Amino acid sequence: MNWFIKGIRMGVKTEDDYHHETKWPSRLTRVKGGEITCPTDAIGEEWKQERCIFCRACEPVFSPTGETLTPRVERSDVTFKRSFYLYPLDAGSCGGCNLELRLISSPQYDMTRFGIFFTNTPKHADALLIMGNLGKRMEEVIRRAYDVIPSPKLVILLGTCAISGGVTGIPPDIRGDVIVPGCPPTPASILDALIKAKGGDRK
Amino acid sequence: MRVIGDIGPYCLTSDGLREGPCIKDQSEEESLGYGSFKFVYGPSAGGLLESVGFEITTYGESIEKINHLPYKGRQITLSGLTIGDALLRVERINGAFTASHSISFLQAIESALEIEVPHDVVISRMAQLELERIRNNLLVIQRVLESASFLVPSFLLLQQIEEVNRAIARSCGHRYFFGANYPGGVRCELKLPSLKISDIERTLENRIFIDRLQGNGVVKDSFSIGPVARASGFKYDARLDSDFLAYRNFDLRIPTQDQGDAFSRILVRLEEIKESLRLLQELKVKPCSFTMKIRDGEGIGRVESPSGDLAYLTRVRSGHVERAYLLAPSKVNMRLFLKSMPGNIFTDFPFNWESFGIWISELEVDLE
Ligand code: SF4
Ligand code: SF4
Repeated sequence: MNWFIKGIRMGVKTEDDYHHETKWPSRLTRVKGGEITCPTDAIGEEWKQERCIFCRACEPVFSPTGETLTPRVERSDVTFKRSFYLYPLDAGSCGGCNLELRLISSPQYDMTRFGIFFTNTPKHADALLIMGNLGKRMEEVIRRAYDVIPSPKLVILLGTCAISGGVTGIPPDIRGDVIVPGCPPTPASILDALIKAKGGDRK
Repeated sequence: MRVIGDIGPYCLTSDGLREGPCIKDQSEEESLGYGSFKFVYGPSAGGLLESVGFEITTYGESIEKINHLPYKGRQITLSGLTIGDALLRVERINGAFTASHSISFLQAIESALEIEVPHDVVISRMAQLELERIRNNLLVIQRVLESASFLVPSFLLLQQIEEVNRAIARSCGHRYFFGANYPGGVRCELKLPSLKISDIERTLENRIFIDRLQGNGVVKDSFSIGPVARASGFKYDARLDSDFLAYRNFDLRIPTQDQGDAFSRILVRLEEIKESLRLLQELKVKPCSFTMKIRDGEGIGRVESPSGDLAYLTRVRSGHVERAYLLAPSKVNMRLFLKSMPGNIFTDFPFNWESFGIWISELEVDLE
């Protein structure tokens, strides 16, 4: 049997609304008073999603709402409205961010319907997507990848390690245009961020 | 006695610790003849899930020699931390194997502190390990299918991996088991994923796919572990040896193959998924907590991770980790992968590489 027909017969469905409840990571809210020691200083005047590693040490003073974390998009570019090619770069991750990123291509999320694709070479990329802490020999690799991406280009930081270092190391020394919080960010957070970065307005 | 792998300055065997390394690295540099050359593949080459470098020596077409070049290595310090703080870092050594790492680490701590763990915690840990095994084996098969450009079945597998991740999130609150285990307890329930195993089996009957994997990357080595060992006829599985977990009460079936090639590794993993699903149906899982009494001591914890034996050796003093050593299964498997590659051609590389299920994150971590 032809693979295409086989594919259809398997009855796999893409989700119109791909947001679904996950407790950790999701937006945290204070539900009662009390002091807590947070391992990443994510709790100050307010809760900082970009520092949080969702370790649950602040439970039950803080509680997860199940709402998808919202990415911070400082710069987007409508040039990428129709097609947006990403070059993923693992700077020194635990692998969690890599897996969640891969899963946005699963049929449930199907990133290609939003015109989002992966590319194997930075020369074809519109955005550099960085995950993980700064690894031993990765500084040069990141710089070279960034340099060969044609302008206009965006830098996307995926996950707490890449944004603020988390508990396992320091973040790569590069400014992000798009910040996707989570440890690891859920596929829903990642897709929200990418759609916004390419000038779309879903959610 | 079987040799499992290096853990700090020791060699872990099925009989316990032995001083000194298990196997000496053979690093004699015999140079190849006229016309051979070296090139570097990686570190951020497309298609690889993680950053990793390889130095390949060739005359063209066939791979004569291959070495691993570390790039993304991280230094993670556990010494001096409280058990809870250390656990946060242990969970993040390999996100794909978080249940294996955190459970093995906690077992080592509990054995150092001479703590008897309640039965409900034991059962919950087994459930987590089996869910993690299912997800990983699906991922390995998916990655091999993707390398072979079998895209429809590859997407089918991704769909099922997402199903498992959601089931893990419903069971333990987090898609990668972060925070599921803590010193003195476990937070999980059990919500099973609904999987279509027969669809995957049908995919693996495809002749073209089979041809690409058979005879590729053969390795038969009695110092191997996990699915790689079982694919070459060695019935090794830490679950059979475990004194911490109750696998012996569940009549565990250990699938083996005897070709030792990439295809055998895939078949073993597929059979393991079915066995894990069967086991999960028999487990009654609920959250549970117990008291951790503090004393000084040293202990080993060991589990069968999706890629084979994973162990921690820890020393505890006044509630703090004095020193921790890790035996990462990916380290053992990398040695076997490098051994299996010479003689194969370049196009064999991706299938063979993916069939080992190696994680660079745990392989290149420096634990202090
Ligand atoms: S979950 Fe952990 S990291 Fe996040 S705010 Fe709470 S204590 Fe801090
Ligand atoms: S942010 Fe979390 S999941 Fe991502 S690499 Fe860091 S520890 Fe792993």
